Amino acid sequence: MFKKLIEESTGKSPWLFHINAGSCNGCDIELVAVLTPRFDAERLGFKLTGSPRHADIVVVTGPVTNQSLPRVLRAISQVPEPRCIVTMGSCPQSGNVFRGSYSVAGPLSKYVHVDVDVAGCACKPEAVIDGLALATQILAEKRRAMK
Amino acid sequence: MDIPFVREAISQLFSKPSTVLYPVVPVEAAPNYRGRIAYHPEKCINCGMCERVCAGNAITTVVEKTEEGDKVTRTFNLGSCTFCATCMDFCHGAIEFTTDYHMIATKEEDLLVIGTHIRKPPAKKAPPKPAAPAAEAKPAEAKPAEDKAAAPAEAAPAVQPRDDGKPVQDPSKCVYCTICAKKCPAGALEVDRANKTWKLDEDLCVGCGTCAENCPKKCIII
Repeated sequence: MFKKLIEESTGKSPWLFHINAGSCNGCDIELVAVLTPRFDAERLGFKLTGSPRHADIVVVTGPVTNQSLPRVLRAISQVPEPRCIVTMGSCPQSGNVFRGSYSVAGPLSKYVHVDVDVAGCACKPEAVIDGLALATQILAEKRRAMK
Repeated sequence: MDIPFVREAISQLFSKPSTVLYPVVPVEAAPNYRGRIAYHPEKCINCGMCERVCAGNAITTVVEKTEEGDKVTRTFNLGSCTFCATCMDFCHGAIEFTTDYHMIATKEEDLLVIGTHIRKPPAKKAPPKPAAPAAEAKPAEAKPAEDKAAAPAEAAPAVQPRDDGKPVQDPSKCVYCTICAKKCPAGALEVDRANKTWKLDEDLCVGCGTCAENCPKKCIII
């Protein structure tokens, strides 16, 4: 009974961990806008954590620079399974205008499996909420598959 | 005794919350919001400017040779787009930014906007000659250029526009600055400053009008 309660509550309240992999801060500001009172993703259960070990969903912004790559991979590897990786903005998906730069190691999908892409430069907070909702569904499927 | 902010606190108690109830109440983007790209291939003149001005290399073009003509497939990768709309500024109406901001994908293919159109070879020349266009075109082009140069000298200085939508130069106004050749997206113009020649490769010209727009003397008519 206790286990079931934990399972249900974790499904309804996925915690986010945000990684800035060399972002221009545009997407970071949009993520902050999502979590603050105007869009208030916390009413839907999303909560920002300070530690990757507490997280269910990892939100990555930025084109994954050479400097940030080992840190990004280390932080993602610390997130317990099942986890869901959401890329925010064009940068982690393709490198965007930074593509081909000597200091850019991205896109992120070269290194880890990306579950949800939210496009936009920067993406609208509503789109981020949609993407997080999709990530929650994927997370629930992964949980079911792990059983 | 005056307690600060009491009025504000009481008014906030009875006001509506500022939170947008987004998933329940759908939100429309602002009127000129630049969201998902809509591509209208039937309007595309295949000048290729969109691809050249794109900062994020989001636009790619694949050309396949078919019997009906060149099959041009243009792909817009929204996962690489900055939504700066520079491509739309250079385009002649084929690229449009919609206000749709729901660009969420689980696969990369979901973020691609693809359009295909068939570019037909010029109707005048029946057999397409891809092998030696440079050698063939020059003598063929030289004659109409001379004709054009001769005609306005006799008649009025104004040059008659062609009926196929391709540019004509007015030699009486032209200073052979070569700006039109530099701006031509298809590389169809060849201007020699020393010899004062202006040549148009009709096979390469797409009739986009970039040369006429950029001509400082306004001597190109399209």
